[in-house]
Amino acid sequence: MKERILAVGTVVDLELRQRVRSTAWYVLLAVSAALLLIVSVLLLGVAAAVGKEGGPQVFSVIVFFVLLLGSLVTPALSGGAVNGDRDAGTLATTQVTLVTTTQLIVGKFLAAWTASLAFLAVALPFLLLAIVAGGVDPVVVLVALLVTVLELGVVAAVGVGLSSVIARPIFSVVTTYLVVAALSIGTLIAFGLGGVALQTSQTTVERYYSTDADGNPLPGGVCDPEQRTTSQVPRYDRVWPILAVNPFVVLADAVPGQWSKDGYAADAFSGLKAVTRLAQVAPPEPSVYDDCDPARNTSDRRTQEQVVAATTPTWAAGLVLQLVLAVALMLAGGSALRTPAKRLAKGSRIA
Amino acid sequence: MEAAGIVVEGVRRSFGSTHAVRDMTFSAAPGRVTALIGPNGAGKTTLMLMLATLLAPDAGTIRIAGLDPASDAAGVRAALGWMPDVLGSWASLTTRTTLQLTGRLHRMPKDRAAARADELIALVGLEGLADRPTRVLSRGQKQRLSLARALVHDPAVLLLDEPASGLDPEARVELRTLVRRLADDGRTLLVSSHVLAELEEMADDAVYVQEGRTVDPERVAALRTAARPWRLRALDPAALDAALAARGLAGTQDHLGRLVEVADEAAAADLLAALAADGVRITAFGPAAGEFERTFLELAKEQER
Repeated sequence: MKERILAVGTVVDLELRQRVRSTAWYVLLAVSAALLLIVSVLLLGVAAAVGKEGGPQVFSVIVFFVLLLGSLVTPALSGGAVNGDRDAGTLATTQVTLVTTTQLIVGKFLAAWTASLAFLAVALPFLLLAIVAGGVDPVVVLVALLVTVLELGVVAAVGVGLSSVIARPIFSVVTTYLVVAALSIGTLIAFGLGGVALQTSQTTVERYYSTDADGNPLPGGVCDPEQRTTSQVPRYDRVWPILAVNPFVVLADAVPGQWSKDGYAADAFSGLKAVTRLAQVAPPEPSVYDDCDPARNTSDRRTQEQVVAATTPTWAAGLVLQLVLAVALMLAGGSALRTPAKRLAKGSRIA
Repeated sequence: MEAAGIVVEGVRRSFGSTHAVRDMTFSAAPGRVTALIGPNGAGKTTLMLMLATLLAPDAGTIRIAGLDPASDAAGVRAALGWMPDVLGSWASLTTRTTLQLTGRLHRMPKDRAAARADELIALVGLEGLADRPTRVLSRGQKQRLSLARALVHDPAVLLLDEPASGLDPEARVELRTLVRRLADDGRTLLVSSHVLAELEEMADDAVYVQEGRTVDPERVAALRTAARPWRLRALDPAALDAALAARGLAGTQDHLGRLVEVADEAAAADLLAALAADGVRITAFGPAAGEFERTFLELAKEQER
């Protein structure tokens, strides 16, 4: 067992030395640090100007930014990890050593993951700055960092898996980007379009106090007759599960909500969490607005905090689905690399 | 059946509709250097990949050091060193690190891998470049690194695919000496190369392949008994031509001298003695082509017929 772990460690060592420690890599990290510096300074400045407690907002936005950077860079690191070696003629010479296919692919995954975490490491000083600014719950820090680390791991695994299955590095890198885009942006588009596509008609009932010609209410509270109209409303409550696999939604939903005294989001995590949870609420049928009998009104007067408390958390399901995707692609990759090979992918050569 | 060395029986492998290896049967014995000879596209590299445990044969059996790559790939890999025809190296790693990491991939402890790397660097003469990234190596130097990498775990069986390409004459002589020494230590070496004269100087046995098949050894033996061209040069070419014509030998000519078909070595010795007796002052007398080259060309000629 110890020997097997050592073998994986050797592959990680090899990968990090060979692929990551290059000038381009350090330049990329420096550029990220500069971007983070600008974002943090701006955010802290805005928070100070508004006079609110800036810490939680700054912290959450920086974590989102790190997740964005990480998901933009990790595919480039992991998406060519295996077929890039094949192109360079170093895959086969590694495969004829005593390293097993599993050790090789797991090692490459761990190396790509470690490399993507460097972006999180660069962000640490700025996150610390936000924490020092005050008001950040330690649980929020812990959960946010943990989920970000897992999300970057998913991207790394998808990249390594695809680079084993697809013959050309350029295609596997692009496919990895497409998977990341499908999860981050594709889910938003599917959610938006799906809600509209599944729209239903809603009856709106309105009743107002009768007025005279000048618009003044008639004495004695006389009511107009009810007006009934129908209109089409999008049904986001039927497509909300799509958002569950969005990495940013997973992050926001996993972090415990932070609410102001009047029940509204105190950081960007809770803001996104509240918006996505609201999608679970079905539009009322009929929708009623009644001046004369306000008890019939259907408008939702709950605070964000109350909506979140009343709806279903989605992050666990989303994260599990992402992990299933990652593990499935890694397994597919492992089976594509098995030696002695029986079948070869079209257009691929072994050495 | 011998337990050591390489034993291949009825091996076949196709890629879709391309039959790269149709039927190959041969063995390579320990302590000997076996040459693998054949034209481009004859299936040599596909065979090497199957021997190197990377590719599974569709049919037939392979034994490397007595082990079957299909059922015991790890056992075969521990006993086998493979120098591929593709020169790949980890571009940003140094020669020393490359060899150390290869050793560790073969489950050597760090200190032993480091010591072995130093040994191999000295063995293949890369001392001056040991701490430079491998991307600065020339083709010939990469070739030497590739050989060193194949030797990291001191394997009993070695597969060398085009080991001499890109090497300068001095490095070729060193390679030949090294190959002979490795065989004398009791290792099994299978070497493929297009430089047949080079190969002939280091090999004990030869396996000829053609269109995915190994050529029947009897057919090779028959070709060996056929008449072969010898090349002659004399101080006075006119006198040489006259003496040859007097014996009814119609020589052809190339830029190096006259070429005459001679049945065997005894006939060649007789011809030389006779020409000397005629007073022709011979300066060069020898087979026009090496054994391997001639057999290779004869097989190619047969193929065309």
